[in-house]
Amino acid sequence: MMPVAANYFDGRTSRAHHVYLEVVGQIAQLTGDVQLECPLDQLRVSERTSNKVRKVTFSDGAYLEVSDPEMLAALANLLSATGHSDSLIVRMQQSWRATLIAVVSTVVLISLLYVYALPAAAKIVAFALPEKVERALGDGALTFLDEHFFSPTKLSVERQNELSTRFARLRPVEDDSPAYRLLFRKSKIGPNALALPSGEIILTDELVNLSHNDDAIMGVLAHELGHLHERHLSRRVIQSSAVAAVAVALFGDVSTAVASLPPLLLDLKYSRDAEREADAYALAMMEKNGISSSALADLFADLEKNHSASNPYLSSHPSSAERIMFLRKGDQDGSRLNKAAQ
Amino acid sequence: MQTNTNSSKVSLSFTGTGGEYFRIWIVNLLLTIVTLGIYSAWAKVRRNHYFYSSTQLAGASFEYHGNPIAILKGRIVAFVFVTLYHFAFKFSTGFGFLMLIALSAVMPWLLWKSLQFKLYNSSFRGVRFGFRGTAKQAYINYLMWPFFALISLYTLVPLVHQRIKQFQHNESRFGTTHFSFDAKISRFYLNYLIGFSIFIAGIIVICLAFSAPIAAVIAAKQAGQFAPHLIVGLIGLVFSLYFWLFAIVPLFLSLIQNLIWNHTKLGNRQMYSHMKWGRVTFIYLTNLLAIVCTLGLFIPFAQIRMMRYRLESISIEIGDGLDQFVADEAAQVSATGEGMADLLDFDLSL
Repeated sequence: MMPVAANYFDGRTSRAHHVYLEVVGQIAQLTGDVQLECPLDQLRVSERTSNKVRKVTFSDGAYLEVSDPEMLAALANLLSATGHSDSLIVRMQQSWRATLIAVVSTVVLISLLYVYALPAAAKIVAFALPEKVERALGDGALTFLDEHFFSPTKLSVERQNELSTRFARLRPVEDDSPAYRLLFRKSKIGPNALALPSGEIILTDELVNLSHNDDAIMGVLAHELGHLHERHLSRRVIQSSAVAAVAVALFGDVSTAVASLPPLLLDLKYSRDAEREADAYALAMMEKNGISSSALADLFADLEKNHSASNPYLSSHPSSAERIMFLRKGDQDGSRLNKAAQ
Repeated sequence: MQTNTNSSKVSLSFTGTGGEYFRIWIVNLLLTIVTLGIYSAWAKVRRNHYFYSSTQLAGASFEYHGNPIAILKGRIVAFVFVTLYHFAFKFSTGFGFLMLIALSAVMPWLLWKSLQFKLYNSSFRGVRFGFRGTAKQAYINYLMWPFFALISLYTLVPLVHQRIKQFQHNESRFGTTHFSFDAKISRFYLNYLIGFSIFIAGIIVICLAFSAPIAAVIAAKQAGQFAPHLIVGLIGLVFSLYFWLFAIVPLFLSLIQNLIWNHTKLGNRQMYSHMKWGRVTFIYLTNLLAIVCTLGLFIPFAQIRMMRYRLESISIEIGDGLDQFVADEAAQVSATGEGMADLLDFDLSL
């Protein structure tokens, strides 16, 4: 077999020594500027790439560098003759077919993680955390909202008491109903209701005035209680952090602007899922207390008139049409159940 | 090989290809996901190995020696820090600031360690690079100066940039031969001023170019009319400004890289960089566009394109050859800092 011409660097100076590599039995022999012998099992060969360079390193850090195309072919022959084989990962990296399989598997894996694994993991972690942790999450959120979006309520104390007493009397869906504090506020951003991680449920005057029926307000409050019960705030924080971390790992080198876009879009699905769960919780709670969900459906319809319909994939909430249909269907199912029970 | 005694410039050459790096990248990505991130340390070694051995100077290639276990340990530490920091502000502002202070206190040390690790694990012609800078210098350059920049309302940023580059380049060595850096603070200010002036000039030109449609829109609005055809002009304005924001990034990149390497010497061998703004901008913007259009699959091709241009812009006077460098014995450094620098990529230039 033809000797392989290479440059030898001894690791002590940057001088290039011209040498020839041959293998006799299980011994590598160098001839030329440097003469030495070394058992094959003490040599390390750099992984195969097509980038025109290959190195053979000795145990003391000295190495040979082969860069001539003809000599690279000779080295490849020498390696296969001595039984050297590429690792599985190198073979994958050098094969377009394996690469294609890797692309498809990666896309499928990421999708599965996004749709199933991450929400499931976030749920487990969120429920494993003591309630105190979630309550500590939004420290200061109420002060911030009061400064920027809310002013003191204009509702009479009687009206406030009427609503909070009625809601407090409702039976919860499950026994472990979360502790909450109901607050009334006048809103600068239109009719709304929200649950804070600290356990406050804020109901705006505008929403109270918009609804024709207190049943609807009970539904809204049940929906917000659902957010607390399902630990949505912790789950959302965990999910969005994980998505952002992956996006930065993937796109951070490219551009921060590019890296911040996918998390925003991907997080919306989790937001819509949380809304659906809270709707389901509200529906269950209304059914349990014999309240028709049609009033809440009407309220959604009224809210819908204030906003134009938007693309469901770019929205933080499911479409009103979907939510109304869910509630009306739930109402029919509920009355059917009631009839069957009678 | 170069044999003439006159000083002769030799450029770095880069033989990596997008196609091959794509295969390495996707296999790395898949294995990293499957192992929940653990493989990322091995992925980094494979990637760097490919990049280094694809970078050649006068017929010999560079080599990366990073140990994946050391990198993995560094990444775990970095991950814990970043996770704590990320969630700290969600709990309370007080806890957040506490974490911010803690992070500022350890960051210079981590950056210093990562510089040591990176240089010690790089070699050329069998001789390793190294870093002699001290922890004290790291704290001065990575904590004290940036803090002054902050309280000076960023007017000291060019100075801080000069200090950091001076620290990195003056304290680096190849074997026993030291690098040196002689770019003055005034040159950093000048380059920042050039970049900033071009940026502002561009904004003025764009606003002037769209002034007619904007004025027309305002006039139409005052007259109580809605002018949909004029909205196109407004969209054009916003789009142009946005485009300009992206186009200015490569301008800074090339100005700074050229400034830094044109003032760096290895021993008495001058180094040079001659990046062209137009070319870098073209590569940067087409890369960005292709990455967005392919939902990220173009990333490895983009990295190779940019890296090839940046590396091949750099040259060094090799004078009487590259045979005389002598290796230095250096201690193995922990990789803790390395993983940190990887997660929070600070470096503007090479």
